[in-house]
Amino acid sequence: MNRTFLIQAMLCLSFTFGMVAPGFAGDPQDQLRETTDKVLSVLSDPDLKSPSKAKERRERIQKIVDERFDWEEMARRSLARHWPQRTPEEKREFVPLFKTLLERVYADKVEGYSWNKILYEGETIDGDYAAIKVKIFTAKDQTLHVEYRTWKKGSHWLIYDFSVEGVGLVNNYRTQFNEIILKSSYQELVKRLKTKSVQN
Amino acid sequence: MKKFNIELAVGLFVLAGILSLGYLSVKLGKMEIVGGKGYEIYAIFSNSGGVKEGSNIVIAGVEVGRVKSIVLENYQARAVLSLPRDVKIQEDAIAAIKTKGLVGEKYIEITPGGSDKFISPGGKIRETQPSVDLEELISKLVFEKI
Repeated sequence: MNRTFLIQAMLCLSFTFGMVAPGFAGDPQDQLRETTDKVLSVLSDPDLKSPSKAKERRERIQKIVDERFDWEEMARRSLARHWPQRTPEEKREFVPLFKTLLERVYADKVEGYSWNKILYEGETIDGDYAAIKVKIFTAKDQTLHVEYRTWKKGSHWLIYDFSVEGVGLVNNYRTQFNEIILKSSYQELVKRLKTKSVQN
Repeated sequence: MKKFNIELAVGLFVLAGILSLGYLSVKLGKMEIVGGKGYEIYAIFSNSGGVKEGSNIVIAGVEVGRVKSIVLENYQARAVLSLPRDVKIQEDAIAAIKTKGLVGEKYIEITPGGSDKFISPGGKIRETQPSVDLEELISKLVFEKI
């Protein structure tokens, strides 16, 4: 009698955990959707719409985005061959500079766009890597094809690259950084990134 | 004896001609006779933009290999890239389909990555970029302006 109960209990437990485990890890697409929804809710929050709240709004978005983006991996991939040649200090300095550059370029775009609808077109998972295709409909009835590239870190799928209309971010910066470093030096690249972040 | 020598010379001459022709056709056709000295990797593109068998593979503007085959797989383009053995491709390298000039032929450009892991023969370049449809991009730009 006791044994049957034990077996039943064990079966129940394993069933529950079996059900919970995959749900806990979360699909890459679901995690991305969660982040996007959070950003959209901040953007549409009427309390944050006034110009005086612009800073707070941007900070909130930054915090949400930080959780989903792997800035270091993005910086590493963008520097490509030049990354292993950098000292740990240089790497530590470079990642925030790179992040500021991206924020400067994309923050206005994200805040300025009137997102009408976002359609998730599906994900392709390949081991610890996944690509998620998204179609964004803007208020002007335009469609933008965006593809996010993510990789798994623990239970999180973090974005390390994305492309808009087939033009990839990492590839773009990889070519530009490589050109600057080969023409002048890494120090020159850092100098340029610094002046750009000051301009912000 | 003299006649025999002339016949031999003509024979050798013709043979040399045939060999040169063979060599030329192999070289011009860019065929590989004994399997070549390279290795193959593959890449999946959402839009190949018309890359064909034999299209160039370029790194830093230098032609390093050719597209061995390109087929439809799961409504995506699967390209097999044939590369020389001494050209190693990092795991985080990006393969992008580009156009020579505005309307020129399509080729695949590989931008080397910084990873210390290399793609082994038969492996896959995970990071790819499809062919960019300029016409579509221009039309988007135009319509936004209106």
